[in-house]
Amino acid sequence: MIFGLSIQEIIACLLMGAGLIFLIGSMVGMLRLPDYYSRVHASGNSETLGTLLVFLGLIVYNGYSNVSAKIFIVALFVFLGNPIGSHILAKAAYKTGHPVWTQKQAVQHELSTEPTTSVTTEEEKEAQANADLHN
Amino acid sequence: MHIFFLVIVVVLVMTIGLMMQRLFQGPTVFDRMNGLGVITADTILLIVLFGFLDNQPGMYVDLAMAYAMMGCLGSVVLAKYLGGKNL
Repeated sequence: MIFGLSIQEIIACLLMGAGLIFLIGSMVGMLRLPDYYSRVHASGNSETLGTLLVFLGLIVYNGYSNVSAKIFIVALFVFLGNPIGSHILAKAAYKTGHPVWTQKQAVQHELSTEPTTSVTTEEEKEAQANADLHN
Repeated sequence: MHIFFLVIVVVLVMTIGLMMQRLFQGPTVFDRMNGLGVITADTILLIVLFGFLDNQPGMYVDLAMAYAMMGCLGSVVLAKYLGGKNL
């Protein structure tokens, strides 16, 4: 009985605090990372883990009841939907020729803000045709 | 305990407000979709936390369940549309 909280509430607070750390990390990553692929990594992994930890804390806080089963189903949908959405969006970006961030491209980006790509093969030509999708 | 719920609600609302910048100003269309996915996942959590703050979580959890199903489908369908025929 620390600070007037029972053991159940202390465990729930620890789980939700861990989830809160992951949510803040995901937010900072979405704002600060340089590329789409690195940003989708921040949102796909950390966001899912933080949300699941907060849901688990809510289940522990609520106890054994009807609402806990519903929260578990919601957590299952988030656990299925968020990584699948992130993965299929990253796959769509890669298939349509979205440029991957490297250190060289970062220097070019600071100098000219226009990525200079050389069209050589047939695949890259098709990717260049899809380039208006990204602007 | 409600103070702790309020802290998480404030962080989630701040995240949604900052993702609006990613949503309206993102360099590519995939960044916009990514921001929309983050807003969806945060809103589901926010609805459940509002239920706990309101002391009747049974009603809000059903709304969160419906919203989770819609968010799961919408991202996949729009990615299929953006990715072309070879996805």
